[in-house]
Amino acid sequence: MIKALRAGGIALVMACTATSTLADAPSIHLSGFGTLGMVAVNQSDIRFIRVGLDHPGAESPDFGPDTVLGIQGNVVFTPRTSMVVQLLSRESPQGDYTPRASLAFVSHSLAPELTVRAGRLRIPFFMLSDSLDINYANPWIRPPVEVYGLNPFSDLDGIDLLFRTRIANADLEIHPYLGRSYIPIHRDGKARLDRLMGVNLTLTTERFTLFVGHGESDLTLKWSDANFSLLTAIVPTEVNRELSGNDGYATFSSAGFQWDDGRWLLVGEYARRVNRRYANSAHGWHFTVGHRFENVMPYVTLARQTEDRPITTASVPAPLEPYLNGFLASRNMAQHSITLGARWDVRRDAALKVELSHTQTRNDSWGSYFPRGNPAITDPRDRAINMLGVALDVTF
Amino acid sequence: MSSPSANASEVLIVSARNGPIAKLTRDEAEQLFLGRRTTLSDGTPVALIDLPAGPVRDRFYLLLTGKNPIQTRAYWSRQVFTGRAQPPREAPSAEQAGNWIATTPGAIGYLPADHADSRLQALLPLR
Repeated sequence: MIKALRAGGIALVMACTATSTLADAPSIHLSGFGTLGMVAVNQSDIRFIRVGLDHPGAESPDFGPDTVLGIQGNVVFTPRTSMVVQLLSRESPQGDYTPRASLAFVSHSLAPELTVRAGRLRIPFFMLSDSLDINYANPWIRPPVEVYGLNPFSDLDGIDLLFRTRIANADLEIHPYLGRSYIPIHRDGKARLDRLMGVNLTLTTERFTLFVGHGESDLTLKWSDANFSLLTAIVPTEVNRELSGNDGYATFSSAGFQWDDGRWLLVGEYARRVNRRYANSAHGWHFTVGHRFENVMPYVTLARQTEDRPITTASVPAPLEPYLNGFLASRNMAQHSITLGARWDVRRDAALKVELSHTQTRNDSWGSYFPRGNPAITDPRDRAINMLGVALDVTF
Repeated sequence: MSSPSANASEVLIVSARNGPIAKLTRDEAEQLFLGRRTTLSDGTPVALIDLPAGPVRDRFYLLLTGKNPIQTRAYWSRQVFTGRAQPPREAPSAEQAGNWIATTPGAIGYLPADHADSRLQALLPLR
């Protein structure tokens, strides 16, 4: 089957073959997903940013935060053994769209209820982390940044186990994982998780899903933006050691639920990250109520992120305080927001979403916003920001 | 193949007559068609066959899983693109689905009750 699909000016062309999963020769199945999304902020000196995911550019409207294209190949070797490779293109912190492998693993079924997977997986820290780019699967344009901004990591290079069992009328999935992760940070910075391990429990009934998860990891973090470079040149060495290096430790925990009876959709999640140094400790939550009217589902989302501990509590000489506080604010994503949105399933394989968000940053945080121009002049602290988002999600 | 209670609004889960799959519980069927397992409880591998997008397929998923078409598609896109499950093989027509189920070892599919023929056996009626 050859199918060409035009979505908002981007032509997505793929070839897809499907053969019997029980045939002797390996069967290959190609599929894909994509989003063409734009955001516009009502204040011209700042832009919306998904920290660790996209590039702080200067475009308005900005197609960087949400636009994504994924192509996936599933290869079935035997009824028990298969492989998945997924190539993903989205704006990187370096500002390019170079495709990268977002999944590349071999999966083997050890027993009807137990599967082991090894290779490149998705980091499953929070309830929707492993489907963060698969916007078609979610009601929103993007899962709320107040929670999902707490973890910028996407890849898990390692191994996991999926154990699924039935308890009464509920499916329980136990999902332990182990590995490492790396992301580049604008401009030449990097963040790395080593000796990363965690476990998730998901209980699912026909209408209700309950999730709890916890992960821990060693953390290496090197910032390299202008704001950081200026700061390291002027603060004492012992303060610098708190800001970046290879001796960090991070934990990520989350609990969430979803109720979906076909008419009403309720989604809520609470997540927390605790950092020993280099990044702040914070928690966030979101709560969404939606109601389906045929193919259209309007929804409202409330969300908040709160800082629990700044990157450092070290004191510096008084003249340096504004610089240090400015830096800490730039790494503090605390904010709260209310979002009104609607998802319209225009066809079997496409959904159009529109969201209006009203966000308030704090007097010590930039939230999920970044100066367009010189950070020394523009300050995203203590602002009320309106943002419009429009996105078209497709699967094929 | 028809039973006294068969009618056009009934959907039958079927496999090949005299094939390796002679029994299927509702729990097994639900877990298979939600991509939560790929074998029967006794370890027999299963190949799932979907009908083309349309009212019968929508009715089947609603009857078996309680999910409407929008929920089903969102659910399956998450299953597939997180690499957890491979979707059922989609037949171009109910006739082709019947042929595949009849000739593919370990295949399970669903058909409107009036489309099931003598090569197939009913595992589970849904209505």
